[in-house]
Amino acid sequence: MAAPLLELHGISKRFGQVVVADDLSLDVQPGDALGIVGPNGAGKTSLFGIVSGDLTPDTGQVRLGGNPITHLDAAARSRLGIGRTYQVPRPFEGMTVFENALIAAQQGGATRGRASHQLAADVLADTGILAEANRPAGQLGLLQRKRLELARALATRPRLLLLDEVAGGLTDPEVAQLVAIVQRARASGAAIIWIEHVVRALVAVVDRLVCLAGGRIIGDGVPSVVLANPAVREVFLGTEATAESFAAAGLVAGAGS
Amino acid sequence: MTTSTAALDRPATGARVRVTRSRRPRPFLGLVALAAVAVLAAMPALVGAGITAKLVDGFILLTLASMWNLLAGYAGLVSVGQQTFIGLGSYVVLVLAQWGLQPYLALPLAAVVCAALALPVSWLLFRLRGGYFAIATWVVADAVLLVVSHFPSLGGGTGAILPGIAGIAPLTRLAWTYWSALAVAVAALGVTYLLLRGRLGLVLTAVRDDEIGARSVGARVGWAKRIVFLVAAAGCGAAGGLLILSQLNVQAPSVFSVEWSAKMIFVTIIGGIGTLEGPIVGTIVFVLLQELLAGFGAWYFIALGTVAVVIALWSPRGLWGFVADRVHLRPFPIGYWLWVDDDTGAGAGRAEKGVE
Repeated sequence: MAAPLLELHGISKRFGQVVVADDLSLDVQPGDALGIVGPNGAGKTSLFGIVSGDLTPDTGQVRLGGNPITHLDAAARSRLGIGRTYQVPRPFEGMTVFENALIAAQQGGATRGRASHQLAADVLADTGILAEANRPAGQLGLLQRKRLELARALATRPRLLLLDEVAGGLTDPEVAQLVAIVQRARASGAAIIWIEHVVRALVAVVDRLVCLAGGRIIGDGVPSVVLANPAVREVFLGTEATAESFAAAGLVAGAGS
Repeated sequence: MTTSTAALDRPATGARVRVTRSRRPRPFLGLVALAAVAVLAAMPALVGAGITAKLVDGFILLTLASMWNLLAGYAGLVSVGQQTFIGLGSYVVLVLAQWGLQPYLALPLAAVVCAALALPVSWLLFRLRGGYFAIATWVVADAVLLVVSHFPSLGGGTGAILPGIAGIAPLTRLAWTYWSALAVAVAALGVTYLLLRGRLGLVLTAVRDDEIGARSVGARVGWAKRIVFLVAAAGCGAAGGLLILSQLNVQAPSVFSVEWSAKMIFVTIIGGIGTLEGPIVGTIVFVLLQELLAGFGAWYFIALGTVAVVIALWSPRGLWGFVADRVHLRPFPIGYWLWVDDDTGAGAGRAEKGVE
């Protein structure tokens, strides 16, 4: 069998007393769609930082396609095929929507000239914001910013796409539109790791779920099995809202009884 | 708009795209720029020596402000130590003239030497960020000042006179200096324009807006910053070379003075930081203020400070930002405008996507 697309080996990271990754190991295969859930402070976004190169782990190794990338910065990893979105979208506000996609197509996507123009326009069409192409990105509303965040990550032509709460703060129809975009990205061959509190959006796409708590993996497997796991439910089901969202997703048998 | 499922590798079949560098074609802009340079080039024949000398100062300031704008306005390198390269540029011209080279021919070499020296300086400074970087640039300037002051052949702390220039008639010399200054300023603007118009320009504009975001889309931010630092060193070195050519002597405490940083920051801020046009507007305003307030002694500085504070509060993007928001004028088109040709029917009209 070929090497996993992404391998994390014995990753640890702490900020002072706060442990965000505790001897964490994880493999992701090409084309996988993996969801990550966990309470606030579980280390989800930090894990993305460690994979994308925004954070350096204290110990452990990150490999992409079998090659160690722990020493590489975020730009180099983007060029190797790791695309990421941020929880709070960070468009280049003084640039147009098209220019935002274009820089990603030229740098991370390693395209030039007309090929870069076409790629940038394609991802804008795919994420449904081509009509806004010539508007300054700073003028976009939340949903459009989230679409642009996705478009920019896709324009880097990722083998591995890291999505950090792209559905947060959106209405149900808006979430459905984003889910469709993510499903298309997956169909085109990219592996996906998706951090999401909106569990019903997550389970529409992923076939594997990882639950993080305190920088450790406390559940990993088929979504319904992970969500039924007592350890997972203990860290999770403290809040009514989460219990409801599980029930709404039809994932936890008897959650409503 | 139909969405494509093939965004990642295959081109979308629904739409052909075309990209222009501004919304409307502007063939006349190049001619306007050319005419402006031609008129400026004729100035020594049209106006007196007093005005010519003031224009030389203006070109030096424009060069410095353009370089600082590139550093701080785009690359996020807030330097208060560009006087390092102003001073070095002056002394490179001095030393080469002492060795017998014609001083005007030494000018381009001053720029090259400063860019070369900027490389090891960048290895040192780029380890630092933000305020630490800013202070360190100043420390480097003062350190270089101390070193230069220790060489008696360079005039020590008291100064040295530029050799090799006494034989030229004063008016001829002034005209040469003027044309050199014009050439340096045009080159500074031209290089800035070309830099921002290319692939690197998109990276620099992204860095201006969000450095972490730029890294996350694969931009080699450190490399882009280093290029800008070297270009700015070359520009400031050329400006320093112009200083000694216009003053015919050099004094280390004067050319290595932090006052130069204050001036280039002032001009860039009032004109509009992070835009190509800002330093031009800022220089014009600064030179006019200088003329208007020349007779008022210390009030001159108080007025300058007040202008800077008012503009910073009232229009954080400077005078050019204020103007550009109202009239959609972009003399230097560095953006990208996307046109989508819909393929839905043969000969279908061109649909422009997007609103301004």
